[in-house]
Amino acid sequence: MLKISRRSLLTAAAGGVVSTALSAPFIRRASAAGRSSLIYASAEALTGNWDPTSHTSLAQINFENFVFGQLFRTPMQPDNPSQIVWELATGQKLVDEYTMEYTLRDGVTFHNGAPFSAEDVKATFEYATSPGRPASALYPGQCEVEVVDRLTARVHTKKFGYPASAFQFTGALMAILSKDDVKDPKVLSQRPNGTGAFKFVKQEGNTSHLVAFDKYFRGKPKIEQVEFSYVSDATARILGLMSGDIDILQRLEPEQYATVKKNKALHAWEALSTENKYLHFRCNKPPFDNPLIRQAAAHAIDRSQILAVMDVAGAANNDYISKLKFGYEDVPGYPEYNPERCQQFLAKAGFPKGQGLPQIDYLTSTGFYPKTKEYGEVITSLMNEQGFNVKLNVMDTAAWGGRLYQTADKVAEGHMIDCGWMSGSPEPDIVLRAMFYSKAGPGGGLINGIKDKDIDAALDAERAEGDSAKRKVLVGKATEVIASKLPSLSLFTSVNLNACRAGLTDFSIYPNGPMDVSRAYYKDV
Amino acid sequence: MVSLISFLVRRILQGALIILLVSFGIFAVLRLVPGDPARLVLGPMASDQVVEVAAREMGLRDPIPVQYVHWLGAALHGDMGQSYIRAINGSQVTGSHDEFAQAGKAHVLDLIGGALPYTLQLAALALLFAAIIAIPLGIAGGMRSGQWPDKLVLYLGSAFVSIPNFWLSVVLALVVTAQFHLIPSIGYQGFSYTILPAFVIAIEMSPIFMRSLSSSVSGARQRSFVSLAEIRGLSRWRIFFGHILRNAAVPVLNLFGVQIGALLGGILIVEFIFNYPGLGLLTVQAVLQRDFPVIQGVAVLSAVLFVVINILVDLVSTWIDPRLDF
Repeated sequence: MLKISRRSLLTAAAGGVVSTALSAPFIRRASAAGRSSLIYASAEALTGNWDPTSHTSLAQINFENFVFGQLFRTPMQPDNPSQIVWELATGQKLVDEYTMEYTLRDGVTFHNGAPFSAEDVKATFEYATSPGRPASALYPGQCEVEVVDRLTARVHTKKFGYPASAFQFTGALMAILSKDDVKDPKVLSQRPNGTGAFKFVKQEGNTSHLVAFDKYFRGKPKIEQVEFSYVSDATARILGLMSGDIDILQRLEPEQYATVKKNKALHAWEALSTENKYLHFRCNKPPFDNPLIRQAAAHAIDRSQILAVMDVAGAANNDYISKLKFGYEDVPGYPEYNPERCQQFLAKAGFPKGQGLPQIDYLTSTGFYPKTKEYGEVITSLMNEQGFNVKLNVMDTAAWGGRLYQTADKVAEGHMIDCGWMSGSPEPDIVLRAMFYSKAGPGGGLINGIKDKDIDAALDAERAEGDSAKRKVLVGKATEVIASKLPSLSLFTSVNLNACRAGLTDFSIYPNGPMDVSRAYYKDV
Repeated sequence: MVSLISFLVRRILQGALIILLVSFGIFAVLRLVPGDPARLVLGPMASDQVVEVAAREMGLRDPIPVQYVHWLGAALHGDMGQSYIRAINGSQVTGSHDEFAQAGKAHVLDLIGGALPYTLQLAALALLFAAIIAIPLGIAGGMRSGQWPDKLVLYLGSAFVSIPNFWLSVVLALVVTAQFHLIPSIGYQGFSYTILPAFVIAIEMSPIFMRSLSSSVSGARQRSFVSLAEIRGLSRWRIFFGHILRNAAVPVLNLFGVQIGALLGGILIVEFIFNYPGLGLLTVQAVLQRDFPVIQGVAVLSAVLFVVINILVDLVSTWIDPRLDF
């Protein structure tokens, strides 16, 4: 009979270990030193369309920041939210109430070799702001551009009825396109051609490959290659960062952040974002068509408990815009947790202690924003304590996204839904008009469906003011009007939790997500 | 020969019926769950009118059996439809509602064709690892029934079967890849990225093979032809390979056919955790994004694989043991 002894089994096991060890040199080490490439893992997929005016997707905006140039950037630092850093433009000035003039940088070229000029600015502005473009919602309105000379362009807004000062910050949102590409949007959609530090090479599955652009106007980047990869699972992203397969990550979960902080091979940091998280009430159907019920709900919610759940990923805020936005200030009388006032509002609305109120469907997502399910449970519990009958419905991101917006033909699902609104400019109107202006979408405010003359008037007044100091005051007044009507409750400002390989140096990340790695390099740590 | 052909015809017809039933079941269920595919394609802000027009153009307002017949007719001609969310270049797309974005959506068969080689590589390596673990231990346990190798198989099998694959995946990726940088495993940049995911699947699959082989070998050893073979003076190796192992192989092979479903299930989870670009990752992302054509395509492919492998298992079993009738 075949004899298998303890000794023979141990010998065989030892042999296995030795052969594995011998083969180890043939297995690629997970961590490679002396890198000249950067691998960025995106939590969100790209749109499949390289035309920057075809979407409002954050992931795609992050990608575009590598490839496309802009007239200027707005770093939005807490101590100077209105700062402007010039890029393809060297300056802007208001010629009159309806005309903004840009002087442009000389010697800039697109990745296809075409020289940059005022003609490209004209083509980009007129194309991007035309009402048919999906991203036109990011800009104050349609415009016409006059080419004064090769390096001077004037943006005119009179024909479209709003002041040109509205472009003071929003000009930073526009990826500048080549005039020849704009002539054929099909070409535009098929390959990205910008003036940015990195040039698009190819798409492989979920990875976009970029290389340093030799003729970048600030000099060729030290990082030679960038891989922009969509990695859907948060655990895979963090493990990839820890193993060296990913170099930089954004939007970590608080627990992941705590783990990465302890790892000496990695660098992790917090940064206040431009995104406020809102609890939107569907104002175009009962019970939240009644402002008293909205007030009651807002006074039932203890935002300090939500912040405790968010941990480092949320910052207190008493306004509808982030502290990084122009015109931020704590809104006087912003709703605070006050059960007594909640009960007063319920009684005044004819629903004492919530009796007679219908069931309220609260829609939230999981897997995209941090902790939505957890703080959704807190909100549900707090409102139910006051007599509401809230049912929390936690959905995956796709299902939630499909129910988010109001449409022209029917009232949106659910009674409450939460959502953030990130934008790449200090301009407050990008948020305020999208969320609260009656003509923002087919049903009123894009998500809450609010249609309110007082809010519209306040928003129109602040947009029409050309003087910065006066406008700041009017932005404050507009947010006060919004807080008195409460179509939504701003819960907190998101804090971005970022992490990268410890040696990565000389790069910056804007508060809305895009990063500048045009001068970045790896140093020994 | 006649019986072999008759067997093949019978099994292929049975298999075709199974595939038809599975594909119809999945087709119907996907169309009954909440969420309008036309709305998914056009985005949340498209008006209901536009969505309705698109839905009619896509045939989504026809009765489900009619839709299924259309789908089946196209599938038999090699067209399993286009993904709702993936572009031709393979990238997953979202959030753009432009006509050009919609025109560039990938064909389901191309997506499956791109992901399948990675999954086959993973499955093959997982089976190899499972065999390396299960065959020596299973044979040792069967040959020394009631003694320590048998107990080792029992305890090891119990331990392996108790380890959830998602937990083992995360622990291995954390320790082996992230902590000690021994074997890379997140994403795919070469063959070495297959090792850890394959090992996790092997750990999941090996207990059942180990136990089955152990009891089959033990059972074969008790049979009279083994005692007679010793009396006949046959060598130990010949008795082992020609009589014990050959007889023990048939039940293990049949078990393998049944275990294909478990293998596919394991691959789904493991590929997602390791971000391994195979069919599992494709499927999980399709489910999360409601990409119905891709889900349908992968489900049909899984049914086909299941049927084909089981036919092959029956053929091999009969070849090993001629007493089995077609």
